[in-house]
Amino acid sequence: MNRPLAVNPDHAIADPDVSTSDGSGPDRGWRQRIQSWRRDPLSAGIALLLAVLVVMFILVPVAAIFVASVRAEEGITLELYRTFLESEYYRASARNSLILGLASTLVTIGFAIPLALYTTRTRGPLTAGFRMVSLLPLVAPPFIFALSLITIGGRRGLLSQALGAVGIEGSIFGLHGIVIAQALGFFPVAYMLIEGALRSIDPALEHASRDCGASQLTTLRRVTIPAARSGIFKAFLIVFVLVLADFSNPVIIGGGQPTLASDAYLLIVGRQNLSMAAVVGVVLIVPSIAVFLLQRRILGDATGEASLGGGDPLPLNPGIRRICLTLSWIIIGAIAVMFAFVVAGAFVRTLGVNNTFTLDHFATSRGLGYIRNSLLVAVLAALVASVLGVIQGFVLARKDVPVKGFQEFSSLFGLAVPGTVIGIGYVLVFNGAPFYLTGTITILVLNMAFRNVGVSMSAAISKLHQVDTAYEEASADLGAGPIRTFWRVAVPLLLPAFMSGFVYTFMTTMVTISSVVFLVSPGTNLAAVYILNLANTAAIGEASAMSFLLICSVLAILGALRWLERRSNVGV
Amino acid sequence: MRALAKVGALTALAVAITACGGEDDSLSIYTHNDEDEMQGFVDAAEDATGLEIEFLRMSSGEALSRVQAEAPDVGADMMWGMTHSGALELESDGLLDSYHSEEWEDIDPEFLSEDGTWYGWSYWFNIIGVNTDLLDELDLDTPQTWDDLLDEQYEGEIIMPDPRESGTAYLVIAALMQIMGEDEAWEYLEALDANVGEYDQSGSAPAEKMARGEYAVAITWDQAVFDRIDEGFPVEYVLPEEGVGFDLDVAFIFENADNPEGAQELIDWLGTEEGMEVAATERALVTREDIEGTIDFEPNFIDYDALQAAEDNDRIIEEWIERFGN
Repeated sequence: MNRPLAVNPDHAIADPDVSTSDGSGPDRGWRQRIQSWRRDPLSAGIALLLAVLVVMFILVPVAAIFVASVRAEEGITLELYRTFLESEYYRASARNSLILGLASTLVTIGFAIPLALYTTRTRGPLTAGFRMVSLLPLVAPPFIFALSLITIGGRRGLLSQALGAVGIEGSIFGLHGIVIAQALGFFPVAYMLIEGALRSIDPALEHASRDCGASQLTTLRRVTIPAARSGIFKAFLIVFVLVLADFSNPVIIGGGQPTLASDAYLLIVGRQNLSMAAVVGVVLIVPSIAVFLLQRRILGDATGEASLGGGDPLPLNPGIRRICLTLSWIIIGAIAVMFAFVVAGAFVRTLGVNNTFTLDHFATSRGLGYIRNSLLVAVLAALVASVLGVIQGFVLARKDVPVKGFQEFSSLFGLAVPGTVIGIGYVLVFNGAPFYLTGTITILVLNMAFRNVGVSMSAAISKLHQVDTAYEEASADLGAGPIRTFWRVAVPLLLPAFMSGFVYTFMTTMVTISSVVFLVSPGTNLAAVYILNLANTAAIGEASAMSFLLICSVLAILGALRWLERRSNVGV
Repeated sequence: MRALAKVGALTALAVAITACGGEDDSLSIYTHNDEDEMQGFVDAAEDATGLEIEFLRMSSGEALSRVQAEAPDVGADMMWGMTHSGALELESDGLLDSYHSEEWEDIDPEFLSEDGTWYGWSYWFNIIGVNTDLLDELDLDTPQTWDDLLDEQYEGEIIMPDPRESGTAYLVIAALMQIMGEDEAWEYLEALDANVGEYDQSGSAPAEKMARGEYAVAITWDQAVFDRIDEGFPVEYVLPEEGVGFDLDVAFIFENADNPEGAQELIDWLGTEEGMEVAATERALVTREDIEGTIDFEPNFIDYDALQAAEDNDRIIEEWIERFGN
């Protein structure tokens, strides 16, 4: 792909409300707007259709949560909120969720920044290795490290016994255990975003800073980190939401410490108390939305940053390099060890107790069927999300269509809503007339697709912001209609956005728990939910074996996509 | 065109995966049986009947509340594996279909509902499992009675399931109420709480964690402990002297099932000698008289009243949450 032809640096800091309205001034009147719809009814139609879908599958389920939380036999009531506020237990949950949200996110980012600094500024096999290991947790269910942590640091885990022998008592169960498990599990998300942000910084800025006499520490503090702030903030938001929505780690390793997500989960699976779960969901959604709005307000849609070229980033000086390298080794080492425990756990009787080799844990007649279900749902959801996202991105960035800001907002909103909440919302909306989607593959596909549609959409928008409209205008001038222009000019340009949306949605769906756990049924059970079930009955060997198979199948598909991509680029 | 080819390839991939599965005339089952044993049961049933079977495993509490929330359009045709008290509760909600299976005619009618709404296929009962290595290491006595568990030497060393999700846990609590009377049982549970290190989501997990050495004593159900003994863990079982609660494990068909014929066929097969033999490989006792389960001793069952337990379920669990859930 060529370097972007015309980069408008304004896009990087554009106000979100006008960021998508290129070529059409923000304050055009009603009449003009309607006229332009008439001129381009196809785009307006597509935009409206997409808006309806997004409302239906993102906003309605979330709204249903609000409604369910206040609905009484007659009229509305805030009684359940009072119950929530007056309960010592729920207050503790809320406190724990907030503590975890901040602690896990800060730890994750605290390690992601040094690793990203290291890998963007140092070449060599170590960098490649670091990058590979750091991404491993993406292809495993988010709670898998909790199982390894129990083997290591449980009441009679390997490390606990070693420490116990020298008189140090302690166990992994509790908030600190959850923080470790979540930081490891969600690390790659933060790392990818921060690395991408660091990579897109113009190295000339750093060179200029150095030339003006600033030390490297000052340059990092005053130039590099601020320039990457949008990526860092985005990482903060996404990890924060993932942590808030995660109930699997708290349930497995929390030692009875309640969190909002685990309360909502237990209220539904154990008590089928949808109203109270809805209240918890509303409380859970508030901080997520706050962070989301804050991010948009402070930063706008800053995905369009692009480097102007101009050399390599400054290499790290020895002192800072040593610090980054040490922190990188800690996190990479931890991920590698946890992973080794998963693999080892799959192939021995009981890890740490009876380490004889066995293949018994793989003896499951159903597991492969669940993996097939997961693959099916993940591929379909990824297709839907990436196709719709790219079309939406194109229409929003290039066409003068109605309710632009609202559309962009709603799609991104899908990313910001905790999975637990949107899962419960789907149960409320689609579990009966007029939809009857319960128990189908469709509900799983829709759920995962619309939660992720914002990824391809924003990728497409930022891509198009980097590319001048001249191409499309030329195509139109040469007599191509809008559809032909879209296919021949825009689609090739948008392919990277399509691929990144596809891969992201595919991977997320393969390992996700938080929303689909409420939506599976006999015949549509998913591998990750099955693994959680095995983990809940403490069948760690089988859980590890299944995770191993799941990880292998995700890697196989990603490898195949990679191959496809490379092959199709031959001769370009 | 490259773009088109790529999108096309992905679509083809999706279609290929879809084509590999997704039959609609399959029989769908909810179960509280552990994944491991249920996979064996279902494989055997599929071989014998030719049915295509899909199942979803949940804990009993989870299954009960899910079915009640989904009613009247329950997302499965039947349950194979549910607590007796759970079935009675669903029966009183009017959610069970009635069917008279000829294959069950020579099975003791006390295990069946009179109007064919539920079929008792096996028993399971509460049991205490102890990790002998850990008892030695920590210098603890082997508990012999429910009362022994209150001794302060076990502080933090007992693991038991949580009745919100686990039918095993509810059986413990309901049986204690029937042994001691309700008020005394609450007092007992309060005292026991001081020694309980963890309330687990599942009825089987305590046995697994005790076997691995995380806790010395597990309150759980029979097969969970026997399986750990068979796997060679340093584990022994204890049947507390006051007696234990037992539960009839039942199967039943839901009203409005999409595939009632398939469900009836499965119920038929389950009552046959072959079906009971399969069940007997994983269960201590099955309800067909001449077939031996996995144990060769007579457990000291109390005179457990499942109907009473079903009636009290909601109230007792509410109170449990009030006392211990927070």
